[in-house]
Amino acid sequence: MCIKWKICTVIIFTVVLFLMLPMQAHAHGSKIEYVVDMMIEIVATYDSGEPMSGAQVVVYAPDDISTPWLTGICDDEGRYSFKPDTSMTGTYDVQVRQAGHGDIVHIPVGDGGTMSGSSGGYSTGQIALMSVCVIWGFIGTGLYFLRRKA
Amino acid sequence: MFRKLSICLSIIVLAAVCIMIIGCGGGESEAGTLQFYANGEDFVRQGFVSKDGWSIDFDHVYITLADINAYQTDPPYEPHSGDYIDGQVTVSLDKTYTVDLAEGGEDALPIAVDEVPDATAGHYNAISWKMVKAMSGPAAGHSLVMTGTAEKEGRVVEFTINIEEECGYSCGEYVGDERKGMVADGGTADLEMTFHFDHIFGDADTPLDDDLNLGAIGFGPFADTEDGGQVDINMTELHLGHVGEGHCHCLCE
Repeated sequence: MCIKWKICTVIIFTVVLFLMLPMQAHAHGSKIEYVVDMMIEIVATYDSGEPMSGAQVVVYAPDDISTPWLTGICDDEGRYSFKPDTSMTGTYDVQVRQAGHGDIVHIPVGDGGTMSGSSGGYSTGQIALMSVCVIWGFIGTGLYFLRRKA
Repeated sequence: MFRKLSICLSIIVLAAVCIMIIGCGGGESEAGTLQFYANGEDFVRQGFVSKDGWSIDFDHVYITLADINAYQTDPPYEPHSGDYIDGQVTVSLDKTYTVDLAEGGEDALPIAVDEVPDATAGHYNAISWKMVKAMSGPAAGHSLVMTGTAEKEGRVVEFTINIEEECGYSCGEYVGDERKGMVADGGTADLEMTFHFDHIFGDADTPLDDDLNLGAIGFGPFADTEDGGQVDINMTELHLGHVGEGHCHCLCE
């Protein structure tokens, strides 16, 4: 009876462990997919409000902040548009220069083209190690109850 | 047997956890050299024509710099905000430097001020400095001293312009042909403190109704000043300090 109780304890722990893992629900119904196709538009003006017509634009992507990713020219209204590579999340730095005047703006781009949130969290290795520790904790507890008394 | 196996596995897991903690913790950070330069641009090195037609050539432009700091900021510092620079990493030069921006002739490079040999690796995207009165040397008692010759319509004026205002500059990222301040492990990067003297005298190559010339004093008031005379200058409004073409927040007193 005692052994059966111990076995049940191990089984309960194992079930609880699996319940803690993320599960995916399946159900009947329709499915809708959408794609966010983001464009970034900047408007460059002097302090007087006059547009920086014809100003040079240089865009630096998050994966290489020292090499220009895209270059262009502002239109007559000081506007310039570009489509970021949404597979590269992070900050796009856009530099605008003309006649000795210049400025740089930093635009965050997250997954799917949405604005990104704050950074942080654990790496894959750390998550794996913590998972192993938790699993071993459950196994070790179960084995403790299954130990044979001397 | 089973107990020994359990003990061994527990020790292995514990060791792995310790290694993870050590890996997440401190340890040596990557570092390189960050160099600081001062640049008066071609306006100083080659001379220029002021907004009111004076052809100016500089012999010396002594500027005294102190409290020079470079920062890694995230999010990037916006100088238009006028806020205090809050950097995740800061490196500093703890000396006061008087440099001659006109040194080296027409084709000279920007003037090397100093360097930090063990700057933490990363992108230094903000810089601050103060323009202060020199305690000694050719600019003693002044924060900025300009000497040279100006000519207009046959009239030649040898000038010495002394500025006593002390100014603080808080600047964002350098804007120019290439990005600066990216220190790699074992590598060298540089930052530049740029001084736009066309903001003081104006520039004949720029339209007279441009904001630059509308805000500039020109050279005429200096030429008309007798020996020992003074010209009222608001250094805060002149925005002398820049980072390349990038902006700085300026406060003078």
